[in-house]
Order: sequence, then C-alpha cells, then structure tokens
Amino acid sequence: MRPLRFALAQGLLLNEALATLRAIGLDVSGVTPGGRRLVVDGGEIEFVLARPSDIATYVERGAADLAIVGKDVLLETEARVIELVELGFGACRFVVAAPRGAVERSLDEYRHLGTLEVATKYPNVAERHFRARGVAVEIVKVAGSAEVGPLVGLADWIVDLVATGSTLRANGLAVVEEIASSTARLVANPASYHLRRREIAPVVERLAVRAAAR
Amino acid sequence: MNPESPIGPPRGFRDILPTEARELGVIEQTLADVFAASGFMPLHPPLLEYGAADSIKRRRIQFLDSDGSLVALRPDLTTSVARLVAGRYRDMTGVLRLSYIAPVFREEPAMSGGAREILQAGVELVGADGALADAEILALLVESLERCGLPMRESTVQVGNIRLLTSLFAALPDDMRTEVLRALRNGDIAGGLSRAREAGMPADQLRRTGRALTGAEGEAPEAAAAGELCHAIDLARERWPGTLTGWGVPNLSLVPALPYYTGIVFEAMHPGAGVIASGGRYDLLIGAFGLPRPAIGFAIDVLQLHRALFAEAWRPPSQRPLLLLRANADERATMRCAASLRAAGLAVALGDLVERAGRAVIHAEVIDERRVKLDDGRVADAIALGREIAS
Repeated sequence: MRPLRFALAQGLLLNEALATLRAIGLDVSGVTPGGRRLVVDGGEIEFVLARPSDIATYVERGAADLAIVGKDVLLETEARVIELVELGFGACRFVVAAPRGAVERSLDEYRHLGTLEVATKYPNVAERHFRARGVAVEIVKVAGSAEVGPLVGLADWIVDLVATGSTLRANGLAVVEEIASSTARLVANPASYHLRRREIAPVVERLAVRAAAR
Repeated sequence: MNPESPIGPPRGFRDILPTEARELGVIEQTLADVFAASGFMPLHPPLLEYGAADSIKRRRIQFLDSDGSLVALRPDLTTSVARLVAGRYRDMTGVLRLSYIAPVFREEPAMSGGAREILQAGVELVGADGALADAEILALLVESLERCGLPMRESTVQVGNIRLLTSLFAALPDDMRTEVLRALRNGDIAGGLSRAREAGMPADQLRRTGRALTGAEGEAPEAAAAGELCHAIDLARERWPGTLTGWGVPNLSLVPALPYYTGIVFEAMHPGAGVIASGGRYDLLIGAFGLPRPAIGFAIDVLQLHRALFAEAWRPPSQRPLLLLRANADERATMRCAASLRAAGLAVALGDLVERAGRAVIHAEVIDERRVKLDDGRVADAIALGREIAS
C-alpha cells in the first residue's frame, strides 16, 4: 500500500499547517512553501501541495487520504469528506457586504426591482444563503476581487470571505450579515479513514490535543 | 462533432462497451446465483418513483411528468422496495426475501466527474428481526464479494450500529441529538462533537465519545457497544467463515449517508475503489409507507466492485472461442456448414468481427456443408473440430 498521502493547501493556511504538523512530530522539512516540488516524501507520509479548492476534490476522490483545509472550502465545494478535527487557526468568515451607507438604498432597489445582484467567488455558499433567507438574488460569479464589484457597478452586494475586514473597509464596504465562520480542519477520505484508521488515529489524536490546548 | 447534437450521452451517464459489459455480466450472474442460493427472489421496481420537493433529497434527478406530477428516477432501491412492500404485501405478516440488480440515479454537480447512473445489486430481508437476521445479511454481503473474487482484508468490511451510536448522545435533548447525528451522517465528526459540547455534554463523556469516533480500531471505550458489534460479526463469521479468518472490524464511527438506518450498519471498502457496498437495518422505513416492518438489506455498487476487482488483477474466465466463418460462393452450403458447426457445439459467426471484447477467435473458410479450411491450411470436419475445441 502506498504511504499515507496528506494534501496541504498552498496559500494562507500553509505556514500554520506546517507549523502544526511539525509540532505533532511529523517530518515536513521537505515541504517548501512556494517551492516547485509539489509531491514530497516525508517517510511514512507523503505530502502533496495543491490549490485550496482542489484539496477537497483530491480527498473526496481518494487521491489524498488526509488534508488540512479551511471549512470555507468544504462549504463551497460540498465535498463528501470526513471532518475530523477543528484545528482552530485560519479563522475567517463568509459575509454579505454592501457599500457603506448604501444598504437602505439597495433595499429600496430590491423593493422596486425585485432582485439584488451579488458578486462572489463563492456562488454555492451565496446561493444557499440567499435561498434560505428567501431573498431573490442574481449571483455574479467572479474569479477574484469581488469587493470591486459594487465600486464598478457589477453588483449591489458581495459575498466574500474575510479575516480582518480591512479589504472591505478599504473598498468602502461594510458587513451586512455573517453567513458562516470557518477555521482550518483536518479532513479524511471516507474509505481511507476507515481502512487506514490505525495510521490516521494517532495524527487525529495529537492534532485534537493540540487544538484543544490553543 | 456537431455541438448542436452531441454524440455522447448526457453528463454523468456513459456507454458500457462489450469488454466491460462482459465482465459486469459475469459479476452480475455470480451475485444473482449467490442471492438465489440464500433464498432471495429477484424483483424489478420501476425506474420512476414520485418525486418530492424537500431539499434533503436534492440528489434526486427529478422532472415533471406529462400530467404535471413530479417524478424522479429512483435514487435508491431500498426505498422503492419499502414502498412496494407496504403497498403490495399489505396483508402479509411473514418474511420476504427480495433481491435486485438494477441502476439507480443520483444528481452530481457538473464537472465533479461523478456518475449519475449507479448499478446496484442488493437484497432486502423484510419481516425478520434480531441478531440472526443481522448476521445472515452481513455474512451474505461478504460471501457475495468473495464469490465474485474480491480478496478480503481484515478491514474490508466495517460494522457499526446507529442505535448504539445514538445512545452515546442519549443525554442530549432530542433536537440537539438529531443535529449531532445529521452532522455525523455528513461526515462532520468535528462539528458533531462540538455541537454536543455546546449542548452540555460533560467533558469526560465527550472525550470518550470522541475516542470512540476517531480513536484507533479496537479502542471503542463503550464496552457494551463494542461487545454487541463483535457479537454480530462473530455470528456472521459462523455463517460465512470465508477465506480470511477474522474478517470484519467493529467501527462505531461508520455512519452511511442514507438517513433511514436504525440498527446495525456495514460497509465494504477497497483502497482503490472506495466504498463498494453498504447496508444495514432500517426498521422504520417501511413504516413510513404505512406498514411497520423490521427490515435489513445491503446494496453492492457493481461498477465500484468491478473497479476493485480490476485493481486486484481479476479477469473473467475466458469464453469458448468464436469461429468466424468465411463464406464461399455456394450460399446454401455456407449456411448448412454454419449449422453443422453449431450442431457440433461451436460458437459460429459469419464474416469478420471488429469488436471481439477479448474473446479468442478462429478463422475458417467454408469448403462444403460439413468441412472447413482453417487458417493454417488444415481441412477439418465439423464434428472433429467441435471435439477438438471442446477439449
């Protein structure tokens, strides 16, 4: 059987994920953020680096057994994986935001025009949220920088992922409501989790102890 | 390809060509024989069932019938069998043993690579309760997989129990317990545990529950629960000892995604193919159609089983070779020659054949009503050739 394969998201979570894995005694010395090697042998565990949104796909389809990935990615992809430990870092929130001072105006527009335009990189999260609220919206999918949407007239509101909210403030946006909060999670492929429980359980246990101590 | 009229099937559906179809056919025949040898009778639920507007069942492929009613391609055969039993066996109180090999249909998001047509082979034992019935069905699943040629590993079959799992959260208020179980069904163990903590589960109990769900195998702290799971597996091994002594792993964290299970649950998995079968006891499902009956069953995902078998280097037994007969000028003699070759027990086709699906072929040319010339120049009589190829 191949070594346990652990997928790590390149980007904001990577440094903290590596520090956490190092702290529980895994050898992550071969993984270099920004490096060119994307598959790294770590002895009993092999590490794979991938884009955050691909991590969920890797794990769902069994190309990786374990991963550290933000709950935000799981909410957007709705990947069928087992979520094992809330790791407590990488906190961020999905929010609905609108131009400061324009909430009343856009609600008036909603009354007259019957729908709001919402720009987002996260169409599934946005769609589910507004459907549950019974608000009619048109989702405008963008690949980046949704916060520019209201400035250039692309959309009335945005749904975005925020950590501190400074990007929103810099673009003159204010949070209208919070949809969900997110932290990094240890996830596993369902079949791998059950088949390789003996190898995975110690990782889960040590990460849970560390997360509880935070 | 003209994009206006695509030549491929719709997303999530695919063509199954002869090489694969023959292998699937061998698996299906084996499963049908195994099911029949335990007294299960095949039945055919309809392709369409009534749909529903509830969002939990979003994975159904639904559309409007010409009379305006909402219909769905059946997403699951257990539910169809439950409906059928409640309707057609209303006056019956005894035991039913039903089996099926048929496709089900589930919605998958675009671009996810997910199949929307899934071929299931399964059994349902209706009206039987208790440990014997549980063990018999669990054993039948393992027998089915092994008879198809799947090598068993210790961890291939995992056994849990929804009732025992629920009892871990017995102290929580009903609505919180429901929420915790919904999280577990969605695979969100971390979320389920933190909801239990928010609902006031004491720290030491939370720790023990956490260990039962995420600890290494055999570490299940609830002794009574572990004992009940092991008893079910032991009993099943008596019915089907199998090639691997000690198959089956108790695993309380096993929670199939389908919401109707009430007792024992089990899944078979393979490192290359993922989950290839799942089943369990669903004592309340038939009651939801108005006829309370205990029931237990399983369904094997035949395509995933095939994938697992292929990964294990399984190949179907070879078929008898096919004789491809080249006609001569005398058409009547050609047809008579084909008839006498068939009468001699040979498989014969006229002309050439492009798609052979791995089947061995013998080329021969008609000489007269009972003789052919083989490719090596040898002339053979139909009866002698039949005997030669049979041996």
